[in-house]
Amino acid sequence: MSPMISGLQKTTDYRVVLPFYVYAALGFLAGTILLLYSTDMVGAHYFNPQALAITHTMALAWGTMIIFGASHQLLPVLIEGKLDSDLMAYLTFGFAAVGIPLLVYAFFVFDMGWTMQVGGAMINIAVICYLANVLGSSFKSNRRNIHAWFVITSTLWLFATTFFGFLLVLNFRTPILPSNSVDYLSIHAHLGIVGWFLLMVIGVGSRLIPMFLISKYSNNRMLWWIFILINTSLISFSLLFLCDLPDTLLYIPITLGLIAISLFGRYCYKAYRIRIRKSVDEQVRTSLISVGQMLLPFIALITALAFLPQSHFPRMALLYGFCIFFGWITAIILGMTFKTMPFIIWNKVYHNKAHQGKTPAPKELFNNLAYKFMLYLYLTGFVLFVLGIILLHQLILKAGAIALLLAAILYVYNVLITAGHRPKTSQITSIGDKTKSNNT
Amino acid sequence: MNTKSNNIEKCDQALQALYEVDDPEIGLNIVDLGLVYEIYFDEVDKKVVCIMTLTTQFCPMGDAITTDTRNALSKTFPDWEITLNLTFEPAWNFSMISPEGLVFLGQG
Repeated sequence: MSPMISGLQKTTDYRVVLPFYVYAALGFLAGTILLLYSTDMVGAHYFNPQALAITHTMALAWGTMIIFGASHQLLPVLIEGKLDSDLMAYLTFGFAAVGIPLLVYAFFVFDMGWTMQVGGAMINIAVICYLANVLGSSFKSNRRNIHAWFVITSTLWLFATTFFGFLLVLNFRTPILPSNSVDYLSIHAHLGIVGWFLLMVIGVGSRLIPMFLISKYSNNRMLWWIFILINTSLISFSLLFLCDLPDTLLYIPITLGLIAISLFGRYCYKAYRIRIRKSVDEQVRTSLISVGQMLLPFIALITALAFLPQSHFPRMALLYGFCIFFGWITAIILGMTFKTMPFIIWNKVYHNKAHQGKTPAPKELFNNLAYKFMLYLYLTGFVLFVLGIILLHQLILKAGAIALLLAAILYVYNVLITAGHRPKTSQITSIGDKTKSNNT
Repeated sequence: MNTKSNNIEKCDQALQALYEVDDPEIGLNIVDLGLVYEIYFDEVDKKVVCIMTLTTQFCPMGDAITTDTRNALSKTFPDWEITLNLTFEPAWNFSMISPEGLVFLGQG
């Protein structure tokens, strides 16, 4: 063995990452409160103030903010290089943290004026800062693997989504696009859902899931196919939309997307099958559930297109959106938060105290019982709300929304106790007392 | 994977200390995980040189693991100068986990 000595690479400072996690937790809470308050919007057209406010809370304050936070920490692992700029990360947080509530408030009160425009502009600046950081980090690193390409491409799609969203906001007041903003909602939504969330989740998940399972499985060829299929699906959807082609052709992007997700499911299953670590913790299990949940929106979409009359479309669109934002995206975040955040805090609190006393394991930094209750409440709430949408039953919708709100409260509780963790060390046992005991 | 050394007796002492250093995510000690490649002892200058790796070069827990390793060796060899060198050649892989480590992870 030739000892080519290298130093330890610096990881991202916890101060860069933590604000995103705490903000996202409050975003999730806000999203569930809005959902409980607005259950009567189910059955109405999806272009209504409450639905838009909830969707943007879940997409931006919840999903995007936590991905921003986690990716600032994980980007160095994915690109095998260091984060380009902490300052850009702070700017991303600052602009997004102010811009998102402005936009959501403007949607909720249906004010298309300056509040919405300023909110939209600030979100775009935040995304530009994030994009600059991702590109800067990726292109300064000599090694760009498939995971890095997923992250780079998804960030470009995110910029396309927010920029197009900003044009839609301006178009409400001053016509700058050929049609009404409402006509462009589906393309705006899919740029974000498929381009940003799906690519990012698959790119990061395909690295983290085998890592957490300690699985030998790796299949870059399959990941490249998934990458090509998703991008082709999104580009073909955009072309169909812009060229105003017949609806039947929508099956092309849907089929491509379905194949990509099925391949990712197969990737995760194979990683799970040949894992070295036999016990799978609750957090990874939750993330694996979310992979299954990816199929639900497709079922809703295909059912709507193939079997239901046009009059049912708005409700199916709502079901489709709910399955994405409160289903798949929420489930993967619930799981991955407590696989990443405790390590960030543990590193902050204990990295200098290692071997100076017994330290708790990272998984002991949050309340596991609260996590389990959160998970059960979340799954119950999700299933009830889906039933409520299908049956159009207010009582079931309220029950589902209450369960989701309780899950969000437990999530916030766990995030806050993890973020506020203080050092706990006790006397170390003498080295001679313990040998290989932790192997048995 | 066996740890290389120029002093078997002192290496055993060092390894006993390093069995106490766990990878915080996996919960397995760094010796059974196969992260410790070589430990050399310079009896004249009282120096210990430990050559080790991490599961990935950008391991978020790398700082904690290396600090823990240094502290563990300092406690066992209090009057010695400890040098810790990280190498990523060869890169760590699953075949480096010891049979005891595999048992800990639920294999076999």
